[in-house]
Amino acid sequence: MATKVVALAGNPNVGKTTIFNALTGMRQHVGNWPGVTVEKKEGVFEYGGQKFLVVDLPGTYSLTAHSIDELVARKFLLNGEHDVVVDVVDATAILRNLYLTMEIFEMGLKNIVIALNKIDLAKKRGIKIDAEKMSKILGVPVVPLNAKEGIGLEELKEKLLEVAHGRVEESPIPSHYDPAVEREIDHISKCLEGTKLSTIYPLRWLAIKLLQRDEEVMKLVVRHLGEKKLKEIITHIKEVEKRYGRAMDLIIAGQKYEFVDRLTHEFMDYGRMKADTFTDRLDKILVHPVYGFIAMAFVFYVLFKFTFVFGLPAQNLLSEAFTRFGEWLAPQIGNEALRGLLINGIIGGVGLVLSFFPLVFLLFLALSFLEDLGYMARIAVLLEGVLRKFGLPGKSIIPLILGLGCNVPAVMSTRTLDDEKDRLVTMFINPFIPCSARLAVISFISGAFFSSSHALVAVSVYLLAFAVALASAWLVSHFVSGESRPFVIELPEYLVPSWKSLLLHSWDRSKEFIRKAGTVIFLGAILIWYLSNYPVPIGTGNSYAEKLGHLFGPYMRPMGLGWKAAVSLLFGIIAKENVISTYGVLYGSEEAIRNAMTPLQAYVLMVVTTLYIPCIATIGVIKSESNWKWAAFSTAYMITVASVIGILIWHAGLFLGL
Amino acid sequence: MNMIVPLSSLAPGERGVVVNLHGGPSFRSRLYAMGLAPSAIIQVIGRYSRGPIIVEVGGTRLAIGKGMAARISVRKL
Repeated sequence: MATKVVALAGNPNVGKTTIFNALTGMRQHVGNWPGVTVEKKEGVFEYGGQKFLVVDLPGTYSLTAHSIDELVARKFLLNGEHDVVVDVVDATAILRNLYLTMEIFEMGLKNIVIALNKIDLAKKRGIKIDAEKMSKILGVPVVPLNAKEGIGLEELKEKLLEVAHGRVEESPIPSHYDPAVEREIDHISKCLEGTKLSTIYPLRWLAIKLLQRDEEVMKLVVRHLGEKKLKEIITHIKEVEKRYGRAMDLIIAGQKYEFVDRLTHEFMDYGRMKADTFTDRLDKILVHPVYGFIAMAFVFYVLFKFTFVFGLPAQNLLSEAFTRFGEWLAPQIGNEALRGLLINGIIGGVGLVLSFFPLVFLLFLALSFLEDLGYMARIAVLLEGVLRKFGLPGKSIIPLILGLGCNVPAVMSTRTLDDEKDRLVTMFINPFIPCSARLAVISFISGAFFSSSHALVAVSVYLLAFAVALASAWLVSHFVSGESRPFVIELPEYLVPSWKSLLLHSWDRSKEFIRKAGTVIFLGAILIWYLSNYPVPIGTGNSYAEKLGHLFGPYMRPMGLGWKAAVSLLFGIIAKENVISTYGVLYGSEEAIRNAMTPLQAYVLMVVTTLYIPCIATIGVIKSESNWKWAAFSTAYMITVASVIGILIWHAGLFLGL
Repeated sequence: MNMIVPLSSLAPGERGVVVNLHGGPSFRSRLYAMGLAPSAIIQVIGRYSRGPIIVEVGGTRLAIGKGMAARISVRKL
């Protein structure tokens, strides 16, 4: 029997992901929707001998053409590749949720099932819903659920089976509008009748979208009816708008809500509808402009403490294991070149990155916890005002802070930002945030050259990096196209997250870290090993690595550095720790660096190492989260900025006689 | 009392009915899809000298930027 495709649609924060996880368990796959960086989750399950493929559509409030998420969901639904649509509806916010339901109904889709989630919470608030009556009035099956506790899941699966096999008669109720609007819908429908367009899309949907001045639909209509007809239709629309005193899309939205409101009164009793006072009381502190910041600092402190207390020992254990493995393997390989490649190149390089895995996993676990708890939205509210001045959204604090650990998961976490423009700017500046690899370089150099004031020197580099990041955000946000969307964010109720969800989510994210970082690092490790061992080993002056250094050496001179810096920085592209170890190889020992440079040169080297380029794994992840052009631009931009700042510091230092 | 005022002028605890949204199509669609459509009843829960206004509409809490709130006109209840 052929697999039936189930599309999962619904608002954000309605428990869509919980339902998805409950249905598919571990049998899921995370990828991207074609051509865009919106996450696409798919999973499979079997029920009653029937295989189902569940496609999790992006959580959206509506299906306009204004955001990628909405376009992705809408295109999928219009393409009709699905057999069933599950519309997840939050029983505690039914009015707003049914708005999306009405949009789905208007698309003329068949086989819709409403999953009425969070019925337990609704009951607690005194909301009474008659699911059977709701189903009769809406014209589609309604399955009440408490997905977190797994209540109603069997019923949902049963209903999916019935609907997928066409055993359920459905007649989704279309929203009705005022006569003035209905007249326009009729008029447009008549114009479109008989065109090729009407064979692809439902007429009423086209008409309503055209009234809302949907850009995509307007383009389609121009192509099929011509500019003149569209102008005539727009003139009509303007007359109606004049009468109502507001824009047509608002007229339609308002009337759609009124229609839904009338419907809901037939099958539900809003009761006292008291909101969760616990959440309100907590928010008095957590979004307060003073207490909120104190609370946030505390939360971040605990987050880091948690990650490092458990993550560092695990990391040491892992890297120890890799070293031991190398030591055990070494004597067993006869061929010297192969041994070098395997032990120093692959196990050394890849092992280094893999040993970060526990840290990355725990970071994602902590972040998923905050997200599912509902706290992330509060952070966004707190910081929106401050960060927006630099062209960054409030939520970008998460990638910024993660960057202090590792920029790879930090760039990946920009997915939690809703807006494409915000996402691009945030990932662009992220590599400027000094990661733990650069902390190693900064603390080594500041310790070696500035014994008495090393902490101050290290802090100055961090401050400089942050300043550069913020200034770059400000600059770049002026050039990235796309209007910044207005700041409106839902503050979900605080909820204790489910462990299953947390673990699944963190595993998905950190798995990607291994895959993405692993592949590039693997190739990079081989490359480094080759360059520093052929035709003769590094340190003799004739290896390919040293020859490359001499090639780039002249470029380093304006900032007071030589060819050895060029080699080190080149290897630092693979992983920033390499800068110090390469110097060590070139000078014979890491301590010898101390006598080879003036403090000013060392400071320049430290700053340039911090700013000059994202490491190769970060470049890779920027590429996969955006596109090649953006990754290349980010790289070129960083090289430029680091060069300019390096030259400035060197000359300013010389001028001051340092 | 049929006063039409910007949402940003309501104090915590005050309620109003959304009358109009003043802004481009992207601005409007984002707000009405989240429940802030004409005829929706909205209550201000919290606001501070800096930062967004927190409101309740249709059983959900929304934080709305100051600038946005000034462009939402409501009839005070």
